[in-house]
Amino acid sequence: MDFTFSREQVMFKKEVIRFAKKEIVPRVQEHDLKGEFDFASFRKMGDFGILGLHFPEELGGGGADVVTTVLAGEALGEAGVDGGLTLAYGAHSFLCADTIFRHGTDAQRKHYIPKLASGEWIGCMGLSEPDAGSDVASMSTTATRQGDSYVLNGTKMWITNGPIADVAVVYAKTDPDQQHAGISAFIIDKGTPGFSAGPPLIKMGVRTSKTSELVLANCVIPADNLLGNEGEGFLMAMQTVEWDRSALLAPFVGSTTYLVKKCADYAKGRVQFGKPIGHYQAIKRKLADMRIFGEAARALVYRIAWCKDQGRPLNHLEAAVAKLFIGDWSLPVTNDAVTLHGGYGYTHEFDVERIFRDTRLAPIGGGTSEVQKMIISRLM
Amino acid sequence: MNFDFSDDEKRLFEKVRAIAAAAQAEEAMAGQSADAVSQTLRDLLKQLAEIGYLQLGFGNNAQADAVPLMKAMETLAGQARSLFLAVEMSTRVLGRAMAHWATDEQKERGLQGLLAGEAIGALALSENTMNVENDPLQTQGVRKGGRVLVSGRKNYVVNAPIADHLGVVGMLDGRPAIFMVDRRVSGLTVSDRIRTMGYDGLHLAALDLQDCDIPEANVILPPESAAVLDSLRLWENEILLAAALGMMAASLAEARDFAKSHRTGGKPVIAYQEVGFKLAEMLTLHQTAQLFAYRAVWTTATQPKEGASLIWCAKVFGTEAAERVAGEALRILAGQGYRSGSAAESAYRAAKWTQISGISTEIARVRIGDHALGYR
Repeated sequence: MDFTFSREQVMFKKEVIRFAKKEIVPRVQEHDLKGEFDFASFRKMGDFGILGLHFPEELGGGGADVVTTVLAGEALGEAGVDGGLTLAYGAHSFLCADTIFRHGTDAQRKHYIPKLASGEWIGCMGLSEPDAGSDVASMSTTATRQGDSYVLNGTKMWITNGPIADVAVVYAKTDPDQQHAGISAFIIDKGTPGFSAGPPLIKMGVRTSKTSELVLANCVIPADNLLGNEGEGFLMAMQTVEWDRSALLAPFVGSTTYLVKKCADYAKGRVQFGKPIGHYQAIKRKLADMRIFGEAARALVYRIAWCKDQGRPLNHLEAAVAKLFIGDWSLPVTNDAVTLHGGYGYTHEFDVERIFRDTRLAPIGGGTSEVQKMIISRLM
Repeated sequence: MNFDFSDDEKRLFEKVRAIAAAAQAEEAMAGQSADAVSQTLRDLLKQLAEIGYLQLGFGNNAQADAVPLMKAMETLAGQARSLFLAVEMSTRVLGRAMAHWATDEQKERGLQGLLAGEAIGALALSENTMNVENDPLQTQGVRKGGRVLVSGRKNYVVNAPIADHLGVVGMLDGRPAIFMVDRRVSGLTVSDRIRTMGYDGLHLAALDLQDCDIPEANVILPPESAAVLDSLRLWENEILLAAALGMMAASLAEARDFAKSHRTGGKPVIAYQEVGFKLAEMLTLHQTAQLFAYRAVWTTATQPKEGASLIWCAKVFGTEAAERVAGEALRILAGQGYRSGSAAESAYRAAKWTQISGISTEIARVRIGDHALGYR
């Protein structure tokens, strides 16, 4: 075993932190309060090379491995980038663009990946439905072949980037009589007749990411927009899950590092009963628990990324363990951070309040903690 | 980056597992005399020396051995709880102290036997006054005509009643030293075995030293620059962390096997969500603690400055997780787990020691907090 990062990886992480602190973080609070997506920062992430980091250079990507990609996500969190923007980035780069890259034809790749990597286009993925969350096989959206076209009908729910996406990867049943084997994946462009997004949902946290339903009402798309073959959609969705549980979790890990620093700075400056509150053991304990969580979580995320780099697909157990741990254990830590700040922590003035709200998604999004427990117990 | 063990390392773990599985069971050791435990331990040490386990972490391979050593220790600890601590306090604490700071002549007299599995070692460190700030040691050596008189009191010394080599940590000339004390020396009193909540087979005792007369050649005097107490605590913490991992593995395996085989309501209890979810949480804690421990010891070996606080973090997490996993295993095992001899029951009691011993979880949190605040 070896936990060494290459010199390039370490340097790149530092560069991402520097970039994010300068170009993104100064506007985070403003966008969060307004509940607005930060288009400018997203585009800058594209220009910097983050959005297409793991795609080949000939497609406009950075040619990086998965571990480096995870480090970039961690760096964004560590710099103080909000969970909304990192979530939007994850949905765009991993759930949408990566699926097209892995399963698309050369023509599809050349058409979509460069624009997604640069941030010129924004991507989303439509998998969940109002009545089919973790139970993917029960989805009711259908895709019916008609000549050289597919006609899609149904509603997708909780779609990150839904209201702002130019491109969507949508899962639908091409064989409604089948369970998982009846699911297929399609690319749908914004403006396709019959394809629309609902109004953005107002959420507790990750407020800068725009979430909505996607409505498919007799939406006709060319048969060429099928990704891979019919019936392969479930496998594709499962591959995105690994991203969900590595690169998408990485910002939470980085965010803990940011939180420890923020809380320590506050504890050193806040004086009560004649001394900085950082001198009290109860405060040190909270800081310790924050750091312990962050350090414990880190290797879990790296492990999945490394497995992907080794070409070991579908590491369900490892991915579920990482998701369960980070989801469940991050909440007490962010709760402590708010408490440590006292009344100030309850206000929008201090970003621990936002981090607390953003983190509340960790045990929900990408499969709830309960679903992770189901997966783990089955695999045991 | 690499998350795999090599084939050679895996083979070593299998050998350790086989030796540990054949070792005397924890409950069988509970009431045994010091002589009987001593013999069991000597037999085990011999076998572990033969497969290269005792030599792990010594010599030029210390850095490369760090993670495999942790895994090998976990493997042994999972099967042979008390024997594991006895082996490690002898080898990896006293042995490492000798390897780092003893003269060649002292190594020849002591270390070679420890690493060959021919002798048992003990290191007496803990004192009543040692606390968060590592108060100066009360145990003192005073030079007198080419000899040293050692006085002080030591608590909770693992292997004290059975050790061939007894190292006592104290101060000499204002700096930390390790006094190698013959157990027959006048002025040394080894208490009766201290009865403990867990670790039923461990022989633990207190030492009282009153002007124990030892030759200067028996004093291991680390260089002034050496962080003696921090190093000793670090090695101890790594062992306790491995112990916690072993406990978790044993508790989890026992609970999982039971849940698959024990049927109620017409199906195995693992099929009930409440049980399956508990097992999932236990496995998550175990895997998280495992990877955390591996990364912590690797960091300590490669970047010692950063590694120190990471080991505190990993120890707090791992030892608290061990108690939690054992506790959940007891719930799944029900009456089966509550009986003496159950791995989970034994682990539940022993986990407390791993939290208290070395750096306690409370003191560790204070230090981790200080570290975050830049106070330390």
